[in-house]
Amino acid sequence: MKKSFLYLFFAAFLFTACSDDDENNIPSVEAPTTYTFVRDGNSTVSFSGQTTRIEMGHELLGALSVNDTDNASAELLLEMFRNETADGGDANPYSSADLNASTKSIKSKTAASKDFFSANTSEASQVKADFEAWINAQAEDVFVNKDRAAEAGVSGQIADGSSVRYVNAQGLEYNQLVGKSLIGALMADQALNNYLSIAVLDEADNRTLNNNGTVADGKNYTTMEHKWDEAYGYLYGTSANPADPNATIGDDDSFLNKYIGRVESDDDFAGIAANIFNAFKLGRAAIVAGEYDLRDAQASIIREEVSKVIAIRAVHYLQSGKAALNPNDMGPAFHDLSEGYGFIYSLRFTRMPGTDAPYFTRTEVDGFLEDLMGDGENGLWDVTPETLDEISEAIAAKFNFTVAQAAS
Amino acid sequence: MKKILSVLLLSLIAWACTEDETQINDNDSFDRAAMLTNWADNIIIPGYVNYNSKVNVLAEAKSTFTSNPTVENLTTLRVAWLDAYISWQKVSMFDIGKAETLGLRGYTNIYPTNDEEIEQLASSGTYDLELPSTRDAQGFPALDYLLNGTATTDAEIVARFTTEESLSIYLSDITDRLKNHAALVLDDWQNGYRDTFVSNDGSSATSSVNKLINDYMFYYEKHLRAGKIGIPAGVFSNTTLSTNVEAFYKQDASKTLFDAALQASVDFFNGKHFDGNGQGESLKSYLDFLNTITGGEQLSALINNQFDQAKQAASTLDENFYQQVESNNEAMLLTYDELQKNVVLMKVDMFQALNVKVDFVDADGD
Repeated sequence: MKKSFLYLFFAAFLFTACSDDDENNIPSVEAPTTYTFVRDGNSTVSFSGQTTRIEMGHELLGALSVNDTDNASAELLLEMFRNETADGGDANPYSSADLNASTKSIKSKTAASKDFFSANTSEASQVKADFEAWINAQAEDVFVNKDRAAEAGVSGQIADGSSVRYVNAQGLEYNQLVGKSLIGALMADQALNNYLSIAVLDEADNRTLNNNGTVADGKNYTTMEHKWDEAYGYLYGTSANPADPNATIGDDDSFLNKYIGRVESDDDFAGIAANIFNAFKLGRAAIVAGEYDLRDAQASIIREEVSKVIAIRAVHYLQSGKAALNPNDMGPAFHDLSEGYGFIYSLRFTRMPGTDAPYFTRTEVDGFLEDLMGDGENGLWDVTPETLDEISEAIAAKFNFTVAQAAS
Repeated sequence: MKKILSVLLLSLIAWACTEDETQINDNDSFDRAAMLTNWADNIIIPGYVNYNSKVNVLAEAKSTFTSNPTVENLTTLRVAWLDAYISWQKVSMFDIGKAETLGLRGYTNIYPTNDEEIEQLASSGTYDLELPSTRDAQGFPALDYLLNGTATTDAEIVARFTTEESLSIYLSDITDRLKNHAALVLDDWQNGYRDTFVSNDGSSATSSVNKLINDYMFYYEKHLRAGKIGIPAGVFSNTTLSTNVEAFYKQDASKTLFDAALQASVDFFNGKHFDGNGQGESLKSYLDFLNTITGGEQLSALINNQFDQAKQAASTLDENFYQQVESNNEAMLLTYDELQKNVVLMKVDMFQALNVKVDFVDADGD
């Protein structure tokens, strides 16, 4: 049997397999090469509010680090989260004057999507309270005790290779919890469950206005165009070139952009960054063309792929934490598992396409986190490889990837 | 029809995947205990004996200097420091037993050192050198700063140690700490651990062979290839980091230290005795025993050849890596590339042939 013959056979088989689905009703919307859309010669793309929140997130993460700051007070850290004083007054917690001048905040958009939280404010307030508790404890427990060695049940510092990590009594790094949980609670929730939501895109007479090309007051975009762009901004708002963000994907923030880049660089998932970007482009072009089914099909792709990024990173860190478990040297495992904790927390904000639900409910996520911290009385000090595998398997089972693929 | 197609497809896949595999010998009857014995008795323990004697000389030279700070005593102390630093390169890779539980390498050789922290800790007079956050203010790199970087001229350095008692005390504390650590590790090897190590001669993930091969690989990849060459050459950053070279304050010692480390890696691979007389069972003889062929050639020969390539590339480098990065970083990158080729040959082909699983992952740097 000759190779060439086999190839031909195989190729013919492929063609056969693909020829059935041809329908002639594919909308003739063409996406531009870059995320560039104009009306009357001027750009219609705008997402400055998302850029602002990503930048606020960066300042908060910087201040939460034990290494690089003079250890901000809990009050200042919480002001960075709220952009308000404790009693609701104007605060200027950031080093950037522009951020201080902004009326936006991280907190107001945390667990705040229309689809998931507009009628679920009690859970939204629990999520915000989680973040405030972590931020507060970073100052009141970890900063205060940074000059002592961590032990099981005792917060302090612990070596991770040539780095030093600062953990609570359970082995958790609060700054990792905040950073990785914001990816779900702020970026993914706002993009997937708010701005890509039909309830938001088609709110009031958005469709009519968009069909007629009626722009928003004093703006160059229709409201629907702008909503879509705001979703885009949570992924690409700090890109070096936001119209062509995949050129630097992974390098442009510490949140969703960064981890799309990380997943993209794993051969098992190469192409995912292009899938997400292409869906954003085509969906936006579909809005311009008034093709709303096509728009929503792109939203489904984005929801699935972004959710997958979060799930892959959750499993990735659980598995690298498992590989690093060493009773003589727990620092490396704590660092990975703290990141994993944040990505698991973020799963509750993912979105299963075609449904109104996340891939995992809050109850399921809480169950994972209890398992992760529950192998003994000292949390990560006691965690077992079996527990890490069980959680990994349970997460991967809802997606089309394996634990082994995510681990690499 | 469908069935035939699947069969054809499967055979196509099978056919496509059968080439280029490193042969694995399943009947592994290699005498692992003999290899462990050679490692312990002829390489590791003599290495630590040597390291201890050098660190003891260093501690004595330190005492002479602090009780009588002169330029002459400073010069003697520097020689003892470099001697001990070189001897450290020959044991750094053995992160097992007491060295592992102490976190020895972290407390001995994290660089770049933190000069501001050293000054701050020394002048405060209160410090806990057990804390991981003080690791970049102790060990050989901190001594490098104290002996070579605390002032511009030798006379000024001596003057500081004459007038600032706290600086003398700090010098003394971190030198004695090196000495104490070295003694703890050697004592452990000589009083019990050697037998534990040799008798753990199985092939599980926690066996001595599997653990030490991983330690060796980790050292080669992270500390030799990356730490000494790749990081200063900017392989992992957007710009070169010339001040991250080993022994930055001494400057002209970085190549000497690198050469010693590379030679130690070569010698360990070949099972060469520490005293230079003879060699015993080793990774090389293990691979040869398994008759490991990669791409038609003996894998052990390929690895040794690649070590030679790396040495040759490094031979063109300046004694002073800081200068080398600043003046012609290309040569650093070429050396890095030659070192990297052996990461592939060892971490992929050798690990596969020996049926050892890599037990460390690439940290993603955040």
